[in-house]
Amino acid sequence: MTLRVAIVGCGKTADMHVSGIQRLGMAEIVGVCDTEPLMARQLAARYQLENTYSDFGQLLDIQRPDIVHIATPPQWHYSLAMQALDSCCHVLVEKPLALDYGEARQLVEEAEKRGRKLTVGYSYYFDPVARMLRNLVAQGVMGEPVHLESFFGYNLQGAFGTSIMADGNHWVRKLPGKLFQNLLDHLLNEITEFLTDEEPLVQAHSWQGAPRLSEHQPELPDELRVTVIGERTSAFAVFSSHARPVQHYLKFYGTKNTAHLDFDCSTITLDRQSKLPGVLGRLEGPFTQSWEHMRQGGKNVFRFLKSDYHFFTGFNYLLQRFYESVQNDSAVPISYREMLRTSALVDEVVRQVRGRERVVA
Amino acid sequence: MKSLVTGASGFLGRAVVERLLAHGAREIRCFVRPSSDLTGLEELRWRYPQAQVEYVAGNLTSPEDAQRAVEGVETIYHLAAGMKGLPASLFFDTVVASMHLLDAIQDRVRRVVLVSSVGVYGTSYVDTEELIDENTQLDPHPEKRNAYFHAKIWQERLFQEQADKGKLNLVTVRPGVLYGKGTPGVGLPSRMGLVIGNFLLMLGGKNVVPLSHVVNCAEATVIAGLSPDAAGKSFNVVDDDLPTAKEYLRGYKKQVKRIPTVKLAYPMAMMLSQMVEKYHRRTHGQIPAVLTPYETSAMCKGHRFDNRNIKKLGWKQIVPTNEAMRETFAYLKASQNGHPS
Repeated sequence: MTLRVAIVGCGKTADMHVSGIQRLGMAEIVGVCDTEPLMARQLAARYQLENTYSDFGQLLDIQRPDIVHIATPPQWHYSLAMQALDSCCHVLVEKPLALDYGEARQLVEEAEKRGRKLTVGYSYYFDPVARMLRNLVAQGVMGEPVHLESFFGYNLQGAFGTSIMADGNHWVRKLPGKLFQNLLDHLLNEITEFLTDEEPLVQAHSWQGAPRLSEHQPELPDELRVTVIGERTSAFAVFSSHARPVQHYLKFYGTKNTAHLDFDCSTITLDRQSKLPGVLGRLEGPFTQSWEHMRQGGKNVFRFLKSDYHFFTGFNYLLQRFYESVQNDSAVPISYREMLRTSALVDEVVRQVRGRERVVA
Repeated sequence: MKSLVTGASGFLGRAVVERLLAHGAREIRCFVRPSSDLTGLEELRWRYPQAQVEYVAGNLTSPEDAQRAVEGVETIYHLAAGMKGLPASLFFDTVVASMHLLDAIQDRVRRVVLVSSVGVYGTSYVDTEELIDENTQLDPHPEKRNAYFHAKIWQERLFQEQADKGKLNLVTVRPGVLYGKGTPGVGLPSRMGLVIGNFLLMLGGKNVVPLSHVVNCAEATVIAGLSPDAAGKSFNVVDDDLPTAKEYLRGYKKQVKRIPTVKLAYPMAMMLSQMVEKYHRRTHGQIPAVLTPYETSAMCKGHRFDNRNIKKLGWKQIVPTNEAMRETFAYLKASQNGHPS
C-alpha cells in the first residue's frame, strides 16, 4: 500500500522530508501546505509536486493523507499535530515535539487514544553510529553506562545562525528556551536513552558569548552546560556556538569500554584497555586508536561507494521505520517514553536557564 | 523627494547611496538589518552633511518592518536579497520579503527600481552568437537553476506581475557580476567555475566574464531611478572592455594569489556536469548537484550581454575595467593578508 503523505511547513527543513520520502518509494506526497502560499509553491516546483495549500484544514479535508509531516517552527507543532490526529492521521513532528512536556504528553495521549502513530524527527537517533553503539551496548561489549559526554556545536555564522542573529523577531528567539530549545533534543536524547532514572538531578548554566547587537535587543544565550546526575549514571552535555571546529559527538564511558561517536564524520571508535603489561600497553595505545580510526574511515569509504553515506541517513532510517510501523501497525521507532523523558529533561534545562542568563560583552 | 534603499549597508547598497548623494539626493532612507555594519554609511553621512540620511533597521520578511520602510518614500531602490543558505531560506529572504515590500507599497510610490541579475535570463535556450538583450525571455525553469537565481527569477516575476497589473512603475536593473573594492567572497565569480577548497575548476575559459564594477552598477541603478525614459523598462548593466575568464584569472593569479586550476573547455564542462547530476540522482543526493548541465549551459556557454540600452539612458562607465580589476585585486590581496583598506 502506498502511503499518502502531506507536509505542513515548507521552509528549509521540508527539503529533508521531501527528499527522504521520495527516496523511500513507500509513499506519495499528496499535498504541501504553508501559510505563505509562495513557500508551498516553491517547494512543489522544485520537487515536481502537485497540490499546494495555505489552509491545513483544507489539505486534510481534500487529500485525506495517511501521514502528516509537521516541519513548521515549534510554536505550531502542538496545534497542527492535534489537528492532524483529529483527522485520524499518523504524525511525524520535527523536533522538538512540542513547546513543553505538558503539550508533548497530551500529543502522546491523543495519539494513543486514537490509535494513531506519532514520532519526532530525531535525525541523529538512528544515525549509523548511534545504532552501532546501541548494538554494542546490547551485546554487552560496553558494559554498564557510567558516564556520558554529549557535545553539540553550532555555527552562528552559518546561513540560519546569521538570520537568527540579524532578526530580533526571529521565531527561534521567541521560543521559551530560545536557541537551545530548537536544538536541545539532539543534545539530550543521546543521554536519556542510557539514563534509567526518571528524575535525575539536573544543573544547567547558560550565557551569551556573542556580543548583543544593541542594548535594546533581548539577549540570546548561545553557550550551555548541563550536568545530569542519576543514581548510577552521570552525564555532561555541552552546547557551544563558539568552540571551533564545530563538532557533534558523544562519548560513552562504560564499565568495560569507552566509545567515541563522531556524528560529523560518522565514526565510532573504542578506547579499550590494553592487554599488554606496563610500558608496552602504553606504547600500544596510540596504534590501536589509529587502527580504529583507519577501520572506521575504510568503512565510510565503503559506505560512500555503496551510496550509503548521506548526511541524513539517520533521518531516512527513522522515516522508513515509522512508515513500516504505520503499515504493519507495529511499535513506533522511538518509544513514547523516550520522547517524553527527553521532553521533560529539556523542560528542566529551559526552566533553569530562563531568567538567570549571564551576558559576556 | 525621499528615496528608500533596501540592503543599503551591503556591497552595492552603500555604492547606490553614494551615487544618489552624488546626483543631489537630499533625503535617503537606508533600510538595514539590525546586525548590519553601518561604518560605510556613516562615512557618507559625514561626507554629505547637507543630506538627510536616515536608518530604518528591520527585516523585510516582517510585513510590519516593510510598512515602516516605505512610509513616506517616493522612490524605492530594492537591493535586499538573500545571499546564502538553502533554497527555501534564500527564497524566503528574497521572494517573500519582496512580496511584503510590494504589499506595503500599494499605490503609494512613484517608482520602484528592482536590482536583479543578468543570470535570470533563459540563456540555456539561446545560442552564443546571440547577444543577450533585455528582450531575452526570463528562464522558464527557475527550479532547475541554483538557489540564488531560482529566487531572483521568482522575484522578478513577482514584480513584473504587479507592474503588468498597472500597480507599479517598475524599472528593472540587471547587473552582471559585481566586483570592486569590498567585493565579498574570494573574488572568483561562479561564472568562471567552481572553487573547491584551494583549487579552481574552470569551466569555459574563453568566455567573457560579464563584470559590473560596483560604482558603475550603482550609477546605472540611480540613473534608472531618476530618468523619466526608464519607466517600465529593463536594463542590462555590464561594463565595457571585459576580460575573458582566462584573462581575469591571469590577473588574479598575478596580483592576488596563485590558485591551482583545472581548465575544462565548455563541452568537457557539460560532460562533467551530466556525470555529476547523474551521480547525484543515482545516489539520492550523496553529493550535492553542484554542477548540472542546465546551470552550466546557462552560465558558462559563453553568452555576451548587451548594455546599449542603459547607455542610451545616459549611463557612462565611471571606473574603467582595467582600473576596476586592479582595484579589486589589490583589495583581495590586502584582505588575504588581513589588511583590507
